[in-house]
Amino acid sequence: MSPKWAMAIDLDRCTGCGACVVACVAENNIPVVGEAEVEKGRLMQWLRVARYWDGEYPEAQAIYLPVPCMQCERAPCETVCPVYATYHNEDGLNAMVYNRCVGTRYCANNCPYSVRVFNWYDHKWEKPLDEQLSPDLTTRSRGVMEKCTFCIQRIRRAKETAAGEMREIRDGEVVPACVQTCPPGALLFGDLSDPHSGITRKLKDPRRFRLMEHLGTEPRVAYLKRQKGAGR
Amino acid sequence: MLDRRQFLKLGGATAFATLFGGCDKVQKKLIPFVIPPENYVLGEALWYASVCGQCPAGCGVVVRMSEGRAKKIEGNPLHPVNRGKLCARGQAALQALYHPERLSRPMKLSGARGSGTYAPISWEEALSLLMAPLKKVKAEAPASLLMLTDPIRGHAGLVAGRFMKAFGSKHRVAWDPFGADAMLSANAAVHGVRDLPEHDLANARYLLSFSGDFLETGISPVHYAGAYGRMRGDRETIRGKFVHFGPRLSMTAAAADLFLPCAPGTEGIVALGIAHVMVRDRLTAASSAAGRLADDLAAYSPEEVEKKTGVHAHDVVAVAEEFVRNQPGVAIPGTGAATGPDGAFHCAAVALLNVLAGNVGKPGGVSFPNRTPAFAKYGAEASLLAPSPESGYAGVREAIGKMRGGAFRMAILSGATNPAFTLPPSLGFGEALSKVPFVVAFASFLDETTSRADLVLPVPTALEAWGDDIAPVGHSGAVTLCQPVVEPFHDTRSMPDVLIAAAGELGGGLAKALPWRSFKDCLDQAYGGPGGGMETALQRGGIFGESSSTQSPGRTASGVLPKATGRPIEGDPKTFPLELHLFPSVTLYDGRGANLPWLQEMPDPITTAVWRNWVEVNPKTAAGLGLADGDGVTVTSPSGKITAHVAFNPGIAPDVAAMPLGQGHTRYGKTANGRGENPFALLPAGETYALQATRVALSKTKLPARLVRFANPEGQWKISNLM
Repeated sequence: MSPKWAMAIDLDRCTGCGACVVACVAENNIPVVGEAEVEKGRLMQWLRVARYWDGEYPEAQAIYLPVPCMQCERAPCETVCPVYATYHNEDGLNAMVYNRCVGTRYCANNCPYSVRVFNWYDHKWEKPLDEQLSPDLTTRSRGVMEKCTFCIQRIRRAKETAAGEMREIRDGEVVPACVQTCPPGALLFGDLSDPHSGITRKLKDPRRFRLMEHLGTEPRVAYLKRQKGAGR
Repeated sequence: MLDRRQFLKLGGATAFATLFGGCDKVQKKLIPFVIPPENYVLGEALWYASVCGQCPAGCGVVVRMSEGRAKKIEGNPLHPVNRGKLCARGQAALQALYHPERLSRPMKLSGARGSGTYAPISWEEALSLLMAPLKKVKAEAPASLLMLTDPIRGHAGLVAGRFMKAFGSKHRVAWDPFGADAMLSANAAVHGVRDLPEHDLANARYLLSFSGDFLETGISPVHYAGAYGRMRGDRETIRGKFVHFGPRLSMTAAAADLFLPCAPGTEGIVALGIAHVMVRDRLTAASSAAGRLADDLAAYSPEEVEKKTGVHAHDVVAVAEEFVRNQPGVAIPGTGAATGPDGAFHCAAVALLNVLAGNVGKPGGVSFPNRTPAFAKYGAEASLLAPSPESGYAGVREAIGKMRGGAFRMAILSGATNPAFTLPPSLGFGEALSKVPFVVAFASFLDETTSRADLVLPVPTALEAWGDDIAPVGHSGAVTLCQPVVEPFHDTRSMPDVLIAAAGELGGGLAKALPWRSFKDCLDQAYGGPGGGMETALQRGGIFGESSSTQSPGRTASGVLPKATGRPIEGDPKTFPLELHLFPSVTLYDGRGANLPWLQEMPDPITTAVWRNWVEVNPKTAAGLGLADGDGVTVTSPSGKITAHVAFNPGIAPDVAAMPLGQGHTRYGKTANGRGENPFALLPAGETYALQATRVALSKTKLPARLVRFANPEGQWKISNLM
């Protein structure tokens, strides 16, 4: 059975520290664009930690919401790509074929979560910063759309290792860079098709909700609401 | 004579040269496939353990190596401090390793002193330039050598300490702008232990934070963030509740269930108000401390506390009752409280809450794990290996005075704390340093401090060097070992290596004090070396799982109520209406991260600002001053004046202006320079060091740049869905 990869984000644990963002940048060869480009809304980070204000002083509150690609089961981005550059792979992920992308940006336009980023330029890594680039994935060229992949290179590596050892992938063996580094352990990743996996159990929590559920996109990323009070 | 085999070889080589000699696109680097060195197996990643050097927390890391280059850093899952996790700054250490502006060769001053223009030289020339004045100073006036570093832990500290002692100079000064002075003296007064406690958040049911910054930049942010996560969600039936008092809604405060703003510099008073209720209503088991304190606490009734702090009396009572009902609970002070003029008072008042709640030495409370057994064999020298985590301000101040008086003939600088940037400019560090005839700096980058040296010696980063470390908290008695996880990328030598070599050349007592061939040799002897168990330790990243001992608190509560000095902060409230609240940046820490593009481009958790400095004010205060979000302002204190952009923080006390530290560099390379101005410049150069030490006034100014923020691109969702 092919796995159903999913992520759970426990807002009760998330502190908004941004470690996931930098871990993602480091893992996925994401370029730095500079102040002027950020102002134009061209930040290339695949994962953002949105911050919401609620209430007024002295009752003001800040709430953090990490937003990676939702890896929707019924993804609005996939249906509008004229060249099938974004497609649903065998694991149910919304994968990108960079070589097919012609840069229409229809997918980004149709994504309700605004998680897709577009290469407006050929981004440069000043030498020797390019020594850090991960050999597991390419850098993307101008005119190509990109987004969070659930660290598909890590999934592939785990599959190969497991296949080499003639076994199934173990629960917790695959973790995207953001999940791996999250200091308070707010992020959890795993296979929903395994009824005993940590994530399957975690998502039975009644606090569970998904972003913009009413749109019917069926995201593979689920959130757990913040709790109140001392008990459960 | 040629034999047949050699002839064929030569013939082949000549043919090859003839065929391809004219080709100028010859591949320069071939990776041999026959017996590849283990670092060059294509496609195969290897992980090596080391320590993260980005802040003093001392987290263990593992580094992914592929084809001889470091590709990714992750937390070491075996390490007791961070348990496999890492913060943004730790992740970005790779950019320091491969930074385009990293010093790759020794540099000799080529322009005027202080100009920061250098010419590259060889190590041979650099060492002779170092040794000539060192020999002269040793022969003529050994006490006129100054060594100014950041706090050095592990055997590197032993090397530096022994070197200075045997050299004959007692002027070894360490500087850390976020040193825990206040917490140390508070713990000495209340618990009788002059050390940092371990706050066991993971097992607590109730967490009281007083301007705590333990999730972002405190003493060990990854350690405490992990414990915080476990406190919230790892127990089946218990979810720890978190209440935060402080003048600003910080990233840590945002995680709290209840954020109760208090006036700046009143955290200790709130704590004593809670203590008052606990003693008055006999909420705690009748301890001797409670009995002794009853009279002194009488002045801190909830009503009195409300008047002084702005926290409602009923909130003080409710929190006190909840705190007692939900034991074990723990109270934790943070940088915002500790770095005020009355920091020690605030920290002691908070520590007193832990004593009154009876949670000292208990799970879910505070304890004092012992760091010294790891280095017990060094006896009195153990403190060189595990120095007290204090700021060292008094020592730096004294050293600056002496520099100015011409007492030093030579200075050795090292470390990332960059005193020329992080000390109040009115102390005149830079100008005083120019009075020292010869300054040598061990550094990876030119910054405001190292660019004033006569000789700059490039050092390896934490990922390229041998070393050992013991973390300030969360160490469980474990020593972390570091190894060069990558081949040194540049022609660098570590400071201990250079000092050991210099001691050998100076001979005599110095050579005897530092009897090793190299720093690696020193570590080999300390940890058993190859064949003596050191490989296993290096593989795991340290010596873990040792039974850890705890220091027993000397006197559980001295029973003396901490006294506030009542020292006023600088500035007349009429001219300077707002209190300045300075806090370490989540990304840039004390400014050392400012040259790393990943950190500059990570949106700040509260303002979502990137690449630039800002000043946070309450929207209502700003409206009263005629300021809009994003406006340029001049921030004026009695000691200095800088410009910044206004960023609204709806959760900041109305009489406070808050600024993150870390931006405002002028000599730290093109990523860091020109990103706003340095808020350290607003601080007075007082006798004691305080970050919350002055009042400021804001006035609208036109600034050329704009503050760029990463808004929520998807628009506003209903926040009620997220709670």
